Amino acid sequence: MFRDPPGGCVSAGAGGVGGPAGVMLKVSGLETGYGRVRILRGVDLEVGAGQIVALLGGNGTGKSTLLRAVSGLLPTWEGSIEFDGETIHRLRPDQIVRRGLVQVTQGKDSYPAMTVEENLMLGAHIRAGRREIADDLERIYGFFPRLRERRSQMSGTLSGGEVQMLVIGRGLMARPRLIMLDEPSAALAPKVVLDIFVAINRIRDTGVTVLIVEQNVRMALLLAEYGYIIRDGLILMEGEAKGLLADPNVKSSFLGGSVAGSEDELVH
Amino acid sequence: MDFDFSSLLAFIMFGLTIGVVYGIVALGISLIYSGLDIVHFAHGEVYMFGAFFGLVFSSQMGLPYPLALLAAMISIGLLGIVIERVFYRRLTRSGGGYTVAGMGMIICGFGMSVVLQNIAFLIWGADAEPFPVDLGPALEVGDITLPRSYGLTAIIAVVLMAALHLFLKKTRTGLAVRAVAANKDIAFLMGINVPLMISVIFGLACALAAAAGTLIGPMQSVQVEMGYLMLMKAFAAAVVGGFGSLPGAIIGGLLVGIFENLGAAYISPNHKDIYAFLLLILVLMIRPSGLFGVEVRVKA
Repeated sequence: MFRDPPGGCVSAGAGGVGGPAGVMLKVSGLETGYGRVRILRGVDLEVGAGQIVALLGGNGTGKSTLLRAVSGLLPTWEGSIEFDGETIHRLRPDQIVRRGLVQVTQGKDSYPAMTVEENLMLGAHIRAGRREIADDLERIYGFFPRLRERRSQMSGTLSGGEVQMLVIGRGLMARPRLIMLDEPSAALAPKVVLDIFVAINRIRDTGVTVLIVEQNVRMALLLAEYGYIIRDGLILMEGEAKGLLADPNVKSSFLGGSVAGSEDELVH
Repeated sequence: MDFDFSSLLAFIMFGLTIGVVYGIVALGISLIYSGLDIVHFAHGEVYMFGAFFGLVFSSQMGLPYPLALLAAMISIGLLGIVIERVFYRRLTRSGGGYTVAGMGMIICGFGMSVVLQNIAFLIWGADAEPFPVDLGPALEVGDITLPRSYGLTAIIAVVLMAALHLFLKKTRTGLAVRAVAANKDIAFLMGINVPLMISVIFGLACALAAAAGTLIGPMQSVQVEMGYLMLMKAFAAAVVGGFGSLPGAIIGGLLVGIFENLGAAYISPNHKDIYAFLLLILVLMIRPSGLFGVEVRVKA
């Protein structure tokens, strides 16, 4: 099911990166935050082309902040972000999307007052060619048949799992080369989580590189080739997924971490 | 007073005609509110400039009335984009109405209103200018006689609203505009050029105000201070309909127009401008979020 993991070993602390030759996303010494509050304190992270890489951590560790900085929604204070060898951290978010780096937010960030189809069409905003977009829409509906049934419903009326499928489908409509998923399993039932993870694996098999941010450590590491563990705005550990799964330190630093985000359950 | 059904009908039709114009201005105010997160207090002056531009294009340059209207919409739309880019952009970038910067934005809007009014005063002076448009004979609907401009106003207003509706619902840019109005961060992640769309929204809202000015001109006259009352009435219309709701803005405008004309006809014409606010207070007492408002959000 999974490809050969790249070389690399479990190591404590940030630094040594064991990515493969084709590095698609390279984050170096990234510092950023909100207002004057610094959240990320020098994060190094690499995502190799064709891989699934997991970024793991509990609530408030800086996972979503990292994604927002890579997407350009937050300014980079220190350090750099490179995508395909190009420095992107001074670009506007829409310019980053046009380069093929697409962030999928949590399901609650669909446009609830728009229909499912309008949401999906928004995902294709950067693309030209009606025919191709229509073909991709069919492809997404084939991928997630539930969305086809509900295509003219307001997305605010969807269930948690359906809306998660919608935001992933919306991200795919942009034809990304690297897709970043922000806690796709948050607040979902275990059966639905499995469906979502199977879908993510299929996405990678179509040649799209995936960076997945998760609290569901076990599921994410079963899916990914390589993992990073973030804590207090620093990369605490990194290594190939199999190694991290077996590492007792990972388990101990994530007591309760495999329960899908309890805070998000309150929100829904 | 004897009750006369046909004159009641006439008052309602006058009210509807003036009401659609309030609705168009309110539509712009609502668009700006949802797109830029600010209440634009200089919108009355944009409307006044639109009326003067329409007058210049029609009377001085001799364009036919519909063309003058279109020219006024385009030029005021572009002027609006310049105002937004040069003056408002810096303030909205640091956060809209939800933040402390939103307060600065409101003050900036008032300042812009004073500046625009004085520029208009320098160019056109303080006198009311007639806006003569030859639209042919009056319309006879049953036993009611409506000036021709009223019928035309209603038709043009409906066409503008339909065009706006089609733009927002059927075009890719319209979809992007709605996305930006609903959530700017997510719109950015869709690859939408959010700053550009904000300019589009502001330009559209100013073009609508210019259309309203050019429509009102032939009915009344064009004068430097005409913007203030229109702003207040359109604001009342937007709030009555539910702030930020586009259908609400139109319905609110119609209600304000009818209420005001009936009040003037059956209570006292001397206090015509009070009735809009009476309606506003009544609606807010019963439904604080307005007729079509879905949620109450706090903005500075």
